[in-house]
Amino acid sequence: MKISLNRILTVGLVLILALLIFILPLVAASEFSFRGAGGKGHSFINYVWLIHQEGFVSHLLTSLQLALLSGILNLALMVPTAVLLHLKLAKWRSLVEFICILPLIIPVVSLAIGAQVAMPKFVQNSQYELVFFFVIIALPFTYRTLDTSLSSIDLKTLVEASRSLGASWPATIIRVIIPSIKGGITGALFLSFALAIGEFTITSLLHWDTFPTWTVVAAQQNILGAIALSVFSFVGAVLLMVMIAMFSNRRKSKSNSQLQEVAP
Amino acid sequence: MEKEAVANRSEGTARRSFSLSNLTFPLLPFFTFVGFFLLWPILAVTIRSLKGNKNEWTLENYRPLIHGSYFHAFVVSIKLASITALIGALLGGLFAYVIVNSAGPKLTSVLDSISAVFANSGGVPLAFMFIAAFGTEGLFTRFLKAVGWDIYAGKFTLFSFTGVVMVYSFFQIPLMILVFKPALQGLRKEWSEASINLGANSITYWRRVVIPILTPSFLGAFFLLFAGGFSAYATARAMTVGTVPLVPIIIGTLVDGNVISNEANLGDALAVGMIFVAGVAMSGYLLAQRRANRWRTT
Repeated sequence: MKISLNRILTVGLVLILALLIFILPLVAASEFSFRGAGGKGHSFINYVWLIHQEGFVSHLLTSLQLALLSGILNLALMVPTAVLLHLKLAKWRSLVEFICILPLIIPVVSLAIGAQVAMPKFVQNSQYELVFFFVIIALPFTYRTLDTSLSSIDLKTLVEASRSLGASWPATIIRVIIPSIKGGITGALFLSFALAIGEFTITSLLHWDTFPTWTVVAAQQNILGAIALSVFSFVGAVLLMVMIAMFSNRRKSKSNSQLQEVAP
Repeated sequence: MEKEAVANRSEGTARRSFSLSNLTFPLLPFFTFVGFFLLWPILAVTIRSLKGNKNEWTLENYRPLIHGSYFHAFVVSIKLASITALIGALLGGLFAYVIVNSAGPKLTSVLDSISAVFANSGGVPLAFMFIAAFGTEGLFTRFLKAVGWDIYAGKFTLFSFTGVVMVYSFFQIPLMILVFKPALQGLRKEWSEASINLGANSITYWRRVVIPILTPSFLGAFFLLFAGGFSAYATARAMTVGTVPLVPIIIGTLVDGNVISNEANLGDALAVGMIFVAGVAMSGYLLAQRRANRWRTT
């Protein structure tokens, strides 16, 4: 009885601490973002300002487009790679794993400088160059997610069964492998999308304009608006994340959701 | 081509044992991609950092890094990364422990999602949120003032070292939760049962079993947080405009074009210096990780 009371107290204390650290800044920022003109009263004025600001929609669309492309490219590159490593090329696994943590080791700032030195002009002249680097930055997380997902199924047996029942390779991939790692694929797609849409460092150092860099510029004119923007993107991201987590939980009520595996 | 054809033919006979290919060829897209967009840029910046103005090999670009203001920037960056990684590791470790032991699967996955957002897509929004909370007119500041503590009475500003430490902790703590939770989940019930059966009380169990097992994971997570804090750019950039001298920010200013011509390659040297520091931290991470994996059975 005494132990459980102690436990409740500890948990309660920690919860209060967590609340103080995490929820309050968010609440404070929300309160701030609803402040009226000249800091008096509360209204939607900052959000209205935000939406009418030049570049809001166009930069948001640019970011969405880049994020979507990098999500797709990431899957196109990493799903076959991860599947192959699990099926056949096990001896390459440690090398690929090592390469996939490199983006965590190499500071994005350094990668940006390197990109300026190394990329040919035609790549540097298009904002789509960002897609490639977004994929690189997301690599540790997507590889990890896919790898976990593939480890949790018996890929070899599934493939053998499918092949011996006469399915062709494309059919095996589309109808057996992909459905069985759907959770991992959704997780990887979402992670790379989320990273890309919030990416600031390499975008700003390579002098491109996306939603996050536009935010910083907009903040110089109206800090209340910038705070409104931050609340908007933060809450949006959390909601999206929770929705995905719920969705993938329902599909597969495993205790290990794929989304939690973002860090190696 | 020839080789491929031969391999493909032998493939035909091996097909039944479901081999897609014996060649490493299927991994070619991956290696090409990371080679061109990751390894080549790093190699290129390293090479250019070793070149002088007349394209000769030299270590001259690294000279500013070992003394004066650039050296100081490295010291400040390393200090910032260490402090925030420590705060993150301690508090995040505590939160992770409570989550693992007290939260149900549903709550856990919601908390995971929130942590992932805080840890990964913080950046710029985070900086502005902190300005809203702790700025001179922020809700927190007003509240604390109302209860009698004017945080701005002293020298404190959000744009100082202390301010940046606060903001960085905000993404270090959730990152720690994500990184450290698997290690806590790996603690098996049998171990606690076994030690209690052998007569240990809970303090002994913690001191002799839990702490030794978790130490490598904890250290590894610390190094990972260090590397993240050391390299972080977005938050500091949005908050401080050069008030705290951090290496990433200095590189950013150099890239933005206020470059004196004889310092053209200085940015490269700084970038390589950053890779070096982060690389040392990550070696620590990898070593600790290897050690921690001894306890993983799956």
